[in-house]
Amino acid sequence: MTNQTPVLRIRNIKKRYGDNEVLNGVSLELNRGAIKVIIGPSGGGKSTLLHCINFLVGLDEGQVYLNGTEIIEGRKRELTAYRQKVGMIFQDFNLFDHLNALHNVMIGPVRVKKLPKSEAREKAIAELERVGLKDHMMKYPAQLSGGQKQRVSIARALAMDPEVMLLDEPTSALDPELIGEVHEVIRGLASGGMTMLLVTHEVGFASSLANEIFFMEEGKIVEQGPPQKILFNAECLRTREFCSKISRLHNNSS
Amino acid sequence: MDELLFLRQEVAPELLAGVWMSIKLIVPSAIFGFFIGIVSGVIRVYGHPVLKRLAGLYVLFFRGFPLLVQLYLWYFGLPRIGIYLSPFAAAVIGFSLCSGAYHSEYIRGALLSIKKGQLLAAYSLGFSKIRAIFSILLPQAMRRALPGNGNEFIYLIKYSSLAYMVTCIELTGKGSILANFYFKYLEIFSIVGAIYLVMVSMATWGLNYLEDRIAIPGFGRPKYN
Repeated sequence: MTNQTPVLRIRNIKKRYGDNEVLNGVSLELNRGAIKVIIGPSGGGKSTLLHCINFLVGLDEGQVYLNGTEIIEGRKRELTAYRQKVGMIFQDFNLFDHLNALHNVMIGPVRVKKLPKSEAREKAIAELERVGLKDHMMKYPAQLSGGQKQRVSIARALAMDPEVMLLDEPTSALDPELIGEVHEVIRGLASGGMTMLLVTHEVGFASSLANEIFFMEEGKIVEQGPPQKILFNAECLRTREFCSKISRLHNNSS
Repeated sequence: MDELLFLRQEVAPELLAGVWMSIKLIVPSAIFGFFIGIVSGVIRVYGHPVLKRLAGLYVLFFRGFPLLVQLYLWYFGLPRIGIYLSPFAAAVIGFSLCSGAYHSEYIRGALLSIKKGQLLAAYSLGFSKIRAIFSILLPQAMRRALPGNGNEFIYLIKYSSLAYMVTCIELTGKGSILANFYFKYLEIFSIVGAIYLVMVSMATWGLNYLEDRIAIPGFGRPKYN
């Protein structure tokens, strides 16, 4: 493999809430087109890590680099430029409640990128078509199902032309029968070559997609490796316990 | 019949002039007050700590002092430090600042009711804080605050009657003068009261219409049918 600069690199991120050490020195890299998945028990710092990478939560220590350039939280203009290139998908969608699907997707390009409205509209419609929701573009969030909301939120992130996407348990708030449609969209992104960092409990989905899986616990990456190794042949006892528990759960539900 | 003729010829033109003055007081005070309320409400939720404190003090004082006392201070008090306001200006300034303090609370409450995720989502798309507030948070907060703001507009219509205490002769002022002059308190104050009732009804109707216009599915109240 050539010696390319990672799209996203984070180094030694630490985050404390009072005495509670949520992230205790996390480092990882994503090369272009890579798909990496973080698994681990609740409260292990997975969500906080993604929020920290996007500076939605301030870091106590550590660095974040996009294409080799360090991002400094205090430099607001650089920070907002960085966030445009990093798409974020939230567990609970966070669609803008007062805007219909079309305007949810349009508002970023219009207000942030200053695209002309007609151009932004075309782009938004194209992105909504990509997630299979063109027919629902005039609906408001309250009129959409959970799976549809999450697909709109993916379209909203895509409309900013991100270089990398952070997905924070995108299907954990969904009814089981709605998970598939969101997975399908994420699979589509993967086959389009999108660089992604995904937090999920859906190990089956994760293993079919990921180049590498990280097992995270107590604010640290305990073990990392290719899916087959982490899920079925982990070195660390905790990883093995967690994976067997979660795949048993997965088998029972399917 | 004499009575009706008297009311139409002597009372009506005077009261009409009073109504006109009331409207000239209410409309700018409502607009300025609303604007002040939005600004100070936003500052109190998202502002710099120093500004937050100042806005908090503003609300404390202007809700704390009786409105009549505030008007006396603007009109009779300021000349002591060399500032002379016309009765009209004193009344509009007094009403706007008092009204703004109440609006500020409605806006603040509405902003606080919006889930944190809305702001995070805006940030994640590259919105700056100020742009997120104006494009994402306020449009939602205003819809939630409007019933409260409407209440304040209706109060304003009625407390505009205090203007005559600083010699700005509006509807109530005209009514008092006429009633004293003709010694017909019951008739004239009944008419004055009814005119306020009409103004309040019109404002209520306008506010309902506005609420309907900006209603969004799943957000605020459903439309009236």
